[in-house]
Amino acid sequence: MAKILEGPAMKLFNKWGIPVPNYVVIMDPERLMQLGEANKWLRDSKLVVKAHEAIGGRYKLGLVKIGLNLEEAYEAAKEMIGREIGTAVVRQVIVAEMLEHDAEYYVSIAGNRDGAELLLSNKGGVDIEDNWDTVKRLFIPLDETPSLEKLTETAADAGFTGEVAERVAKIASRLILCFDNEDAQSIEINPLVIRKSDMRFAALDAVMNVDWDARFRHADWDFKPVSEIGRPFTEAEQQIMEIDARIKGSVKFVEVPGGEIALLTAGGGASVFYSDAVVARGGTIANYAEYSGDPADWAVEALTETICQLPNIKHIIVGGAIANFTDVKATFSGIINGFRASKAKGYLDGVKIWVRRGGPNENQGLAAIKKLEDEGFDIHVYDRTMPMTDIVDLALKA
Amino acid sequence: MSIIANKDTRVVIIGGVAGVNAAKRMAQFDFLINRPLSVQAFVYPPEKGQQKEIYRGGELNNISVYATLQEALEENPQINTALIYLGASRAAQSARECLESKNIQLVSMITEGVPEKDAKKLRAMAIKSGKMFNGPSSIGIMSAGECRLGVIGGEYKNLKLCNLYRAGSFGVLTKSGGLSNETMWLCAQNGNGITSAVAIGGDSYPGTDFVTYLEMFENDPETKAVVMVGEVGGTLEEEAAEWFGAKKRRIRLIAAIGGTCQEVLPQGMKFGHAGAKEGKKGLGSARSKINSLREAGALVPDTFGGLSKAIKQVYQELLAEGSIKPEAEIDDALLPELPLKVQEIMKQGDVIVEPLIRTTISDDRGEEPRYVGYAASELCEKGYGIEDVLALLWNKKLPSREESEIIKRIVMISADHGPAVSGAFGAILGACAGIDMPQAVSAGMTMIGPRFGGAVTNAGKYFAYGVKEFPNDIPGFLSWMKQNVGPVPGIGHRVKSLKNPDKRVKYLVDYVKNHTSLHMPILDYALEVEKVTTSKKDNLILNVDGTIGCILVDLDFPEQSLNGFFVLARTIGMIGHWIDQNTQNARLIRLYDYLINYAVKDEREVPEKK
Repeated sequence: MAKILEGPAMKLFNKWGIPVPNYVVIMDPERLMQLGEANKWLRDSKLVVKAHEAIGGRYKLGLVKIGLNLEEAYEAAKEMIGREIGTAVVRQVIVAEMLEHDAEYYVSIAGNRDGAELLLSNKGGVDIEDNWDTVKRLFIPLDETPSLEKLTETAADAGFTGEVAERVAKIASRLILCFDNEDAQSIEINPLVIRKSDMRFAALDAVMNVDWDARFRHADWDFKPVSEIGRPFTEAEQQIMEIDARIKGSVKFVEVPGGEIALLTAGGGASVFYSDAVVARGGTIANYAEYSGDPADWAVEALTETICQLPNIKHIIVGGAIANFTDVKATFSGIINGFRASKAKGYLDGVKIWVRRGGPNENQGLAAIKKLEDEGFDIHVYDRTMPMTDIVDLALKA
Repeated sequence: MSIIANKDTRVVIIGGVAGVNAAKRMAQFDFLINRPLSVQAFVYPPEKGQQKEIYRGGELNNISVYATLQEALEENPQINTALIYLGASRAAQSARECLESKNIQLVSMITEGVPEKDAKKLRAMAIKSGKMFNGPSSIGIMSAGECRLGVIGGEYKNLKLCNLYRAGSFGVLTKSGGLSNETMWLCAQNGNGITSAVAIGGDSYPGTDFVTYLEMFENDPETKAVVMVGEVGGTLEEEAAEWFGAKKRRIRLIAAIGGTCQEVLPQGMKFGHAGAKEGKKGLGSARSKINSLREAGALVPDTFGGLSKAIKQVYQELLAEGSIKPEAEIDDALLPELPLKVQEIMKQGDVIVEPLIRTTISDDRGEEPRYVGYAASELCEKGYGIEDVLALLWNKKLPSREESEIIKRIVMISADHGPAVSGAFGAILGACAGIDMPQAVSAGMTMIGPRFGGAVTNAGKYFAYGVKEFPNDIPGFLSWMKQNVGPVPGIGHRVKSLKNPDKRVKYLVDYVKNHTSLHMPILDYALEVEKVTTSKKDNLILNVDGTIGCILVDLDFPEQSLNGFFVLARTIGMIGHWIDQNTQNARLIRLYDYLINYAVKDEREVPEKK
């Protein structure tokens, strides 16, 4: 799952003939004025300026400004670019044409196991959640393309009439093409607007997820996915992502501010159960982390150091199931080095470490990490006979 | 009994290194349960025609690598299962071929990062053809006592610890590789072990679902209970709950569901598995899954840690109601031990292997080469030069600054003597004949001998002998040489003489005597000898070989190493000549007729053979 920003989504819409308003993405307000000289629409239309970042609740944060002329848009861009929102900085804004329109519709498509489902409503806009019962659905089996007649029927079902129904059906058929050809997982257009005087349609806002695993067959994807967690990635998260991209196996890391229990867990499945156990016992997690697929020890070391630097942590859970092929001795040597380096830098004061793991070379790995006791670490090491998440109970009782 | 994989399963593995590694793990299991090798063939075009060495215990099997699936199946018609270890961009096409083939009934894809659309299509294709497509991102399938597909189960020791040499009564279904292993262990520790364990993979749209396997377990009389490990995302667990609750089932269901923590975490947070994401309006959440499973009558503990107790409880109940009988304990000692590799036994100190060779100079088993103990990079860092490395490797000690300056000068002075001498000429001939650098240079090298450059060793050796045996008796030394050796090595030159001295010799002698504080007794002796020989004939001077030989012995280099200075130094020149000829695009040369005296018989008739 990879969420992409509006700009790249609009570009893909354009490619497949889905109408979008005129728009530009800029990093420098001065650039907007230059573009204004070259583009008539920037001078003649009412404009909307939005922070082009993966920041949730942009409207409330004042990161969406509407009904502006070029001068006002310039001022708005100048005011937004460089603004700090929590740990994030606004680096780009998207400036789009604001279309005077007569109606707002809702169109979306999302994949499911057997194909995809198209959703249509003629009550789009901010209130769509309240009008969810007006949404009409059309199941599209894998490898099938519904006919225009079928789509027009669905549009009619959703309350669209006459030429509007035909046009909505046409836009929907292009949306299906875009969805299928771009390995999309979901596309939501809300609102799709129409100016009835000239029958001009446009997708005013788009939320699009593409399958990042399919990027090998999309040479024209010139964008990167953005964070899906309602905030941009932190520097530490980005560093771990960069390591993840270049190694065999994987390392993953997401910060959860305010938590007291840091997770240094192995395996996509087990790591979730460790988070669950902390929450179920009333603890707070400081992060989600995972390493798997027998990653290099230096990658695990980097992950360890990142985790040790989380603020205000009281416990570190070095948890994992019994690995199939991840070498416990090798990955633990990365963890041990990470702990040593962190301690030398002054981290880990008063932090208790809880270890439970099994797998190839488990005896050597567990013995090696247990030796940290002699170096003054507050570390508690358990083998496979300790039920997997029970070290969380021990930590929370300690 | 087992589901999906059994004693009749015969496998083709599609993919390279990871596939071969899996085959080795699978062969370990085959050995443990004493079944024939499950892997019959590999398909991997880059390595077609090769054979991979797979040990089943101590028995070595050579398994062929084919370029295409078709060839593999033609030669191995017994194959009924395919494991896919190819990269994500090629995995789907390969799985498609497998599903299209008539022989293969089960395709299990280990590859991670396969696009969702591809996986969905493969699933549809498998359903249509009545086959199974397991995965992607599956660690494999394990059927205790019958068959192992993939690396599921981990190392050999773990296979035993998890009781996998014989069937138990629990089925295992998971989305996660690590947790399938963990769950098998829990079933062995708290119950009597497993029948089969299937990892369906953690992607959003796996090729199979829990219900498919639950049906199979329901129909397998030996499976009494199933432990299912699910997680947030998708609806496979809800479907399993619906299936379980739909009517009275023979099997018990125990489940653990991961992802309840999501209720308190940032919305949209992504977990390890691609499929682990919550659906709209709570559907697909861990809580919804737990609730529907509990409502359907499954036993669902609060945390994964609670699984142990749940399994134990169900096992006790099954024992109490008599649907399973207590298993006789298998004595671990009766199970076969995996034969160890020599390296492993040596590590444990149980066997002594006499080394074939012995070395005292260098070792590259660590992070970088060490020369007589010193790390190469550290020598560089601390300002040592190639002359010091040479001294380390040839004489096993680091020279002093004065000594290494001399060594450096010797190498510099001997690096080349123009194209006419035998060595360079040999190398040039080679270059002109179009042969590669190492061969051309070694053609030149073969010229080094008694008449060309090979006198350094003997000069050093005999002058050192003179110093020792005839310290104040040069005439005595010369007559001993005449009697026992012949001309004194290092004395005499074809073109140089007293009147026409060799600049290189003058320079070296001057340098060591006037610019260093080193004591040079053998060189001094040789110079005394020169005084005597030149008084007889003025070209019987100390030549460059002799000078170098004496200096090096004075520097305490071993006798055997002395010619090495000439070999090393002259290699620089010969490489230069080879490069020079090639840069000029030199043509093939042959000797001109006028440079050869054809002293052969005149043309004549060949007589009839008698």
